[in-house]
Order: sequence, then C-alpha cells, then structure tokens
Amino acid sequence: MSREIQNENPTILNVSQLPSRRQGKATPRNGPDSKYDNILFSKHWPWGVSKTSSFWPSDEEDDGEGDDEYAEEPIDEQEIFDLISTISDPEHPHTLGQLSVVRLADIHITPFPTERLDPQSLRTVLVELTPTINHCSLATVIGLAVRVRLERVLPPSYRVDVRMKDGSHAQDDQVNKQLADKERVAAALENDTLKGMIDTMLKTCVY
Amino acid sequence: MGVEIEPLPVFTPDLFQRAWASIPHPTLPLLATAHANSVTVFSLSTLSKHSVLTGGHSRSVRTATWQPGVPPHRLRLVTGSFDASAGLWSWNGDKDALESGERLEMEVSAPHNNSKEGEEEDEEDWEFNLVLEGHENEVKGVAFSPSGQYLATCSRDKTVWIWEDVGADDEDDEWETVAVLNEHDGDVKAVAWCPDVPGRNSVRGKYSADVLASTSYDNTVRIWREEAEGEWVCVAVLEGHEGTVWGLQWEPAPKREDKFPRLMTFSADGTLRVWTLRQDQDEVEDGEEESGGGNKLFRSGLGGIPNTMKRSIREEWDCTAVLPKAHTREIYSATWSAKTGLVASAGSDGTIAVYAEEDKTTADATEEKGEDNTSSTQTPATSTNGNTSSAWKVLATVPNSHGPYEINHITWCRRFDPGAGQRKGEEEMLVTTGDDGVIRPWQVRIST
Repeated sequence: MSREIQNENPTILNVSQLPSRRQGKATPRNGPDSKYDNILFSKHWPWGVSKTSSFWPSDEEDDGEGDDEYAEEPIDEQEIFDLISTISDPEHPHTLGQLSVVRLADIHITPFPTERLDPQSLRTVLVELTPTINHCSLATVIGLAVRVRLERVLPPSYRVDVRMKDGSHAQDDQVNKQLADKERVAAALENDTLKGMIDTMLKTCVY
Repeated sequence: MGVEIEPLPVFTPDLFQRAWASIPHPTLPLLATAHANSVTVFSLSTLSKHSVLTGGHSRSVRTATWQPGVPPHRLRLVTGSFDASAGLWSWNGDKDALESGERLEMEVSAPHNNSKEGEEEDEEDWEFNLVLEGHENEVKGVAFSPSGQYLATCSRDKTVWIWEDVGADDEDDEWETVAVLNEHDGDVKAVAWCPDVPGRNSVRGKYSADVLASTSYDNTVRIWREEAEGEWVCVAVLEGHEGTVWGLQWEPAPKREDKFPRLMTFSADGTLRVWTLRQDQDEVEDGEEESGGGNKLFRSGLGGIPNTMKRSIREEWDCTAVLPKAHTREIYSATWSAKTGLVASAGSDGTIAVYAEEDKTTADATEEKGEDNTSSTQTPATSTNGNTSSAWKVLATVPNSHGPYEINHITWCRRFDPGAGQRKGEEEMLVTTGDDGVIRPWQVRIST
C-alpha cells in the first residue's frame, strides 16, 4: 500500500529494554501486591527505563523463555504483553513493544490473574494502546491486530477489549467503538487487503 | 411466576465454527442457521441437519429470513451476507407433496441419512434464484413485511433498502427497489416489520399499514412508514441507548387492540428497552389538523423538506421500560414470545436471561411505594404523556450456557421433537446460537 509515513521519527526501545519475564525474575515476584504496585500505581515504565534512551532497531526476537512456565499458572499481564508486543507496526520496521504502542502498565486483566476462578468463568483483558502520534489513521489496524492476536491464542473464556488510551488518539471514541464491534471485526477479517496487513503484522509473533 | 431452564440435546451435527443466527420457519418445523458462507437448515422434529445452502455468497452469511405466505410445497429463504448482497433461495418439495403442507412436514421430519449422496441431494434441492445487489457494504439484516410483499435489507453502508415483490407469480422472481432510507449515521444493524396484529392499525392515519423499524451503530432506533406510494419517511427517532443497538423485536401479541404494538430493543450498552407510541397526543394532533382542513396540501407542500422538519408526521415514542440488568457485557440478541409474553436475552457474557412483565396491578403498587427504584427493576419515570411505564423482573438466568463462548442469537421456537410429547407444535423452547458453532435448544418450564 502506498501511503505517507505518518510519524517519520518515532521513539524506539531496544528489545532488551522491554519488560520481560527475565527481568521479572531478577526482581522476584513477591506475590500479587508488590507486583501490582508497579502496574497500578506507577504511570512510568515499570522498570524505570527511559523511553528516549536509545535508538537501537533490532530484528531479534525476544525468545520468550519459560514456555513451560505458564502451563499451570493463570495468564498474567506480562504474558499478554509478550503475546502482543512482538506484533510489527504497520509502517515502521519495529514492534509495537519497541514503539511503546503496547505498554505493560496498560494491560489489565479482571478478575486479577491471581484470583482462582472456575474454568468457565470469564476474564476480561483490557489493552489500552498508545499510538505513536495522536492522529495516526492506522490506529484501527493496530487495534485490530492486537484483538485478533489475543483472540487467536487466548482460551475462549477470555474477552478481549482493545481501546486507545485516553487522550492518545484524536478519534478515540470512533476507533474504540469499531474495535469493540464484533460484527465489524469479523467482516474486516474477510477483507483481503486488511487481512493481508494483519497477517504481515503478526508474522513477527513467535508462537 | 417462575421458570426453569433445562438444556435439551443439541442440534446435530455441530458446525465447529461461529454461527450467527438461527431463524425458525413461521409454520414448518425448520430452523435456518447462518454460519460462514452458508446456511444449514435443521429439522426441529429430529434436531438434526435437513439441508444446506451453499455457493451463493462469497463472504459470511450474517442472517436469514423465511418468506411468509409461500405455498406449502415450497420453501423460500433470504440471506444477508458480508459480501454486500442479499440472496433469494428456494426449495421445491417433491411433486407428490404439492397438495399438502403436512407432506413436507413429514418429509422434513424423516431422519435424514447423512451419507455423501444424501448431502449432495440436499444441496441440489436448494436453488439460489436471485441476488439482490445495491448495498455498498456488508448486509446485516433482512426482514419480510407480514404479507411478504416487501423485503427490507440493511447494511454497514448506513442505509435500509425496501424491495418489492413484483413477480407475476410465485415462480417469477422479480424484485424492485422501492426505497432507500439513508438517515442513520452508522451501520444499520437490524430491521423488523411490525407484525400484522390487531393493534397495528390503531394508529394508521394517512400511512399504509406496514411499519418498519431499524436499529443502528449510531445508538438510535428509527421508525419508518409509507406516507405515499413508495414514499417512506422516518416518523420517529428513538434515543436512549448508550451503545450500538444490536437489534429489535416488535411486541408479537399485544393484549389490547386499541394500542399500537410496543417495540423491544437491545444494545451493546447491556440493556433491553421497551418503547411505546404516544397515542393520545397523536389523536389530538390528527384531530386538529383535520379540523384545520387542507392538511394534505399542506403536507405535500413540505415534500422537499427533510423529514426532521416535518413536525406533523412525527410520532412520539417513549421508553416505557428498561429491563433489569442481567448481563455484564453486550446483549447481541433477545426474543419476545407471542405465546407467553416472556422475553429472553443473550450475548457476549454467555448468559441466558428470561424476563417477565409484571402485571399491571403489581406494577402500579410498586410505583405507589415511592420514588426509590428497587434494585430488581429499573423503571424510567412515567412521562407526561400518559404512557405508563411497565415493570419487568428477571425470572431465571443460565450462566455459561455455551461454556465460555459468546452467544450471538437467541429465539423462541415451537417444539416438534418427540420429547415435547403431546404439546408438540405448541410448547415453546429457546434456541441459542454460539461462537462455538453449537445450536442449543432449551426447555423452559413455566410454573405459576
């Protein structure tokens, strides 16, 4: 597709700066409280990484270690982050994680993953996206890719809500409403052009 | 009143993919389920596959509707698809079955052999007669007027199209576009014609008998009437929902003949609402205009003015009930029984909820108690027009009715399976259609 690049100079994070389970281990998980302190009370990057510190494009995949780790554990925010941060941006050769479109602190699971539920009970994953610039017309496509990715890999008891983070996008309401509309999402995925874009974006997701 | 909802054996086979809607035939024991690019027709007698409609659409079939008033040996189905078209299909019964509907019923009731040969025959039985083209985007709803004369289709292109059957006879498939209604500001999600119940003519005035309603992504509901030959106008915009209005159903069996049927709508905002036409005022207005004389001229003089300006043709509709909240997420479907008056709803949270309208004396008593709304009923304040609000209560809920999956459609449906015993053809069950591709019937036991 030929179109103008809307943000020619986005801020990019090195893969090693992205939150990962590896770092999660370095700071041992002391139970839910300390873990959610980061997510709930800090508006900053949980591990104190400055978003502007480097420009290090990398094609390396974060080889999500610990495939065996979540066999029994409920899915947590980090895992959701790992699933979607590797999606490629439709206009930059970087991932949504590197561009901080997807942020760990903006992923919310209710009820909390630590709450044990009967397996049929629903959990809701809310992902708030921060497009690189606030009039990015590709916001819908990015949101669609995130929704599709999660719906494909999460168990059917997970309901996925994808929204633009408040104030991050000029047409928030419109985009949010489209992304929430099951029928529109289903129809969009039968559109070859759109489907092709989404597939390309999802190619960089490892599993 | 109480109800108990028990699962019945599911329709076979499973479809193993998202199914959007299952539409019962108005008279015969058949159910048409839209899924992927096709429709599977199930027999309600055997709860198993009867036939399949394939090859007509290049994208998902979102919905379907049976044409009413078709001779008993024929079946006619209209499909609405994401490929932006509506398809008209017909199935011609065995010639031996020509003279009686019962023969067809028997035929569809017979257990169907599932061999490949059998399936091929099924597919040959359904003919794709005609494609109705005109919409620019996905067709989301299709509905026949009670007489079958008109077909309404609606689409993401924000329009409602009305098509008229102008064929010389039943075999002649000729349909003409008689109107394109484009006042919605978003996808039109569903359309429904007011059924031909006695109350339908209680407020007719200058309009023809048919009344159409549409619901939209723009959060509104619109009511349409035919003002003059082929001239359809929006007579009311119903505002109140705070999200996409996924669909609607007209009151199927109003208790009073002098009252126009009410309208039930359901929405992404998680609520069901009931709307009532403000009739008294209408009569007064009509009277005044009548006495003024020459109102016909007056009206035709307004022909070029947008509908919103034509005050004289407006109908006032009031939201007279918001049903008690029983869902945590969007309501995709709801159904109102002509037989029992019970409403059932379903949606993203996988829950089935069944509601009953409290009889008037109870409702009045509740109102008299005071202003405080009990948690079980949310009754909007009675408006100044004399339309009294009605109170509804939740009789039963079934959580996780399709396991963890979303429910896309729910409908009341007469039972024809042997399990219904002597009440066959009378007793109603609920049928839910889910993302899991399972079509699930539910027995509903009502106790007083």
